[in-house]
Amino acid sequence: MTFSDETLMAYLVGNLEEVEAGAIESAVEADPELEQRLMALDPFAPVVHGVFDQLPAAAPQIDLPDPLTAAPVPPAGSALRLLAVAASVAVVAVSATFWATRPAPMGWAQQAAIYQSLYAPDTIAVLDTSPEALDVQFAHAEERLGRSLNREALEALPGMELKRAQTLSFKGKPLVQVVFADAQGQPFAFCVIRQGEGAPNKDVNEAVLSGLATATWAQDGFGYMLIGSSDQTDLDGQLDILTTTFAG
Amino acid sequence: MSVLTPRARSVKNKHTQVVNYSMGGEISSEQAVRGAIQTHSRRVWRFGLALSGASDVADDLLQSTCVRALERHHQVTSYDRLDSWLMTICRSIWLNEVRSRSVRRAQALSVTPEAELIASGPDSETNIYAAEVFTEVMQLPEAQRETVMLVFVEGYSYREAAALLEVPIGTIMSRLSNARQKLKTVMQHDAADAGRRSGK
Repeated sequence: MTFSDETLMAYLVGNLEEVEAGAIESAVEADPELEQRLMALDPFAPVVHGVFDQLPAAAPQIDLPDPLTAAPVPPAGSALRLLAVAASVAVVAVSATFWATRPAPMGWAQQAAIYQSLYAPDTIAVLDTSPEALDVQFAHAEERLGRSLNREALEALPGMELKRAQTLSFKGKPLVQVVFADAQGQPFAFCVIRQGEGAPNKDVNEAVLSGLATATWAQDGFGYMLIGSSDQTDLDGQLDILTTTFAG
Repeated sequence: MSVLTPRARSVKNKHTQVVNYSMGGEISSEQAVRGAIQTHSRRVWRFGLALSGASDVADDLLQSTCVRALERHHQVTSYDRLDSWLMTICRSIWLNEVRSRSVRRAQALSVTPEAELIASGPDSETNIYAAEVFTEVMQLPEAQRETVMLVFVEGYSYREAAALLEVPIGTIMSRLSNARQKLKTVMQHDAADAGRRSGK
């Protein structure tokens, strides 16, 4: 069935009977050429286009991390190496009052907690946890950190399934986030940052950050952090093991 | 004769700006995504505006979309329509993470303040008309608004918009028909004004 330009125009301005309009809509479904004709005739499209096309007036600002390397990087190592922008994502997720009233630049632990607060069971449900993928991730993370992550100990954490080791960066310092799923599939994280020689040792400090139970400590130039899935998560079991495992 | 790979030609055809592309070689998916972000940031922002009805939320949606896209660059299998991919991510973030908060807030706000987004030019009558069209579009229901933005402003075909919004093509057409009926009022009103001004 062919339609004249007049008929198509009558459809576009709403002057066709329902039956005729329905016939055009059915025909378009199977006829891309008719679709193109209809779009070209539409008197509303250029008007709306003219109004919106100039928006936004200035190029929008986007805060993206610099490319780490010019060469293509393997997928497993390149995923989510983006802690620096995690705070930007969090603009959406964290209340504006928090940002307006925060007193000082945030430390790595606070930023890591914000980042982790964006994790949902979905985030970790689809990760590639094959031994090969984890091998690549751990090799990369340990190389950047300059120390072992004691993978066997992490894999043996009771009630935890190891999901991924991800190399991030905080103010130029390598920061590794190891993500687990707990028995309920909730995300749980252990982070290690290389702070450098001379960084002060700190005893374990437990706090709720970004709505998540956390424990942080520092020893021999490395900072450590455990992040639970909620403010109620009991970290003690893992904490005992990890403070012993990462005793220096 | 072009030495570009078919995929690279396709990227170029879609006006995707690709950085560090070397002839005969493959660009990394991260490079392709970064290029797409640069090229399409304004349209993603506009889509964010259409979804949320608020320019500050559009800012946040664009930022989140770009970060999410970079995180997922390794999932990209075709560089063909990275613009659609970015739009899909933007809409997913809107629906799953932002909408419930923003809609509550938007109910307390008039849409009108956003009309100041319209650039002020020398012709105030044109500006008034543009502001009226802008306001009318922004007052459409969200489903019509997102469809109008994709088809009228960004030039997606009905079937492309249908795929992006995951609805039948007939739904796209009926949304556009309903939107046209509302826009018609503004456009006819303006045409009548123009007639009076010119003494006809």
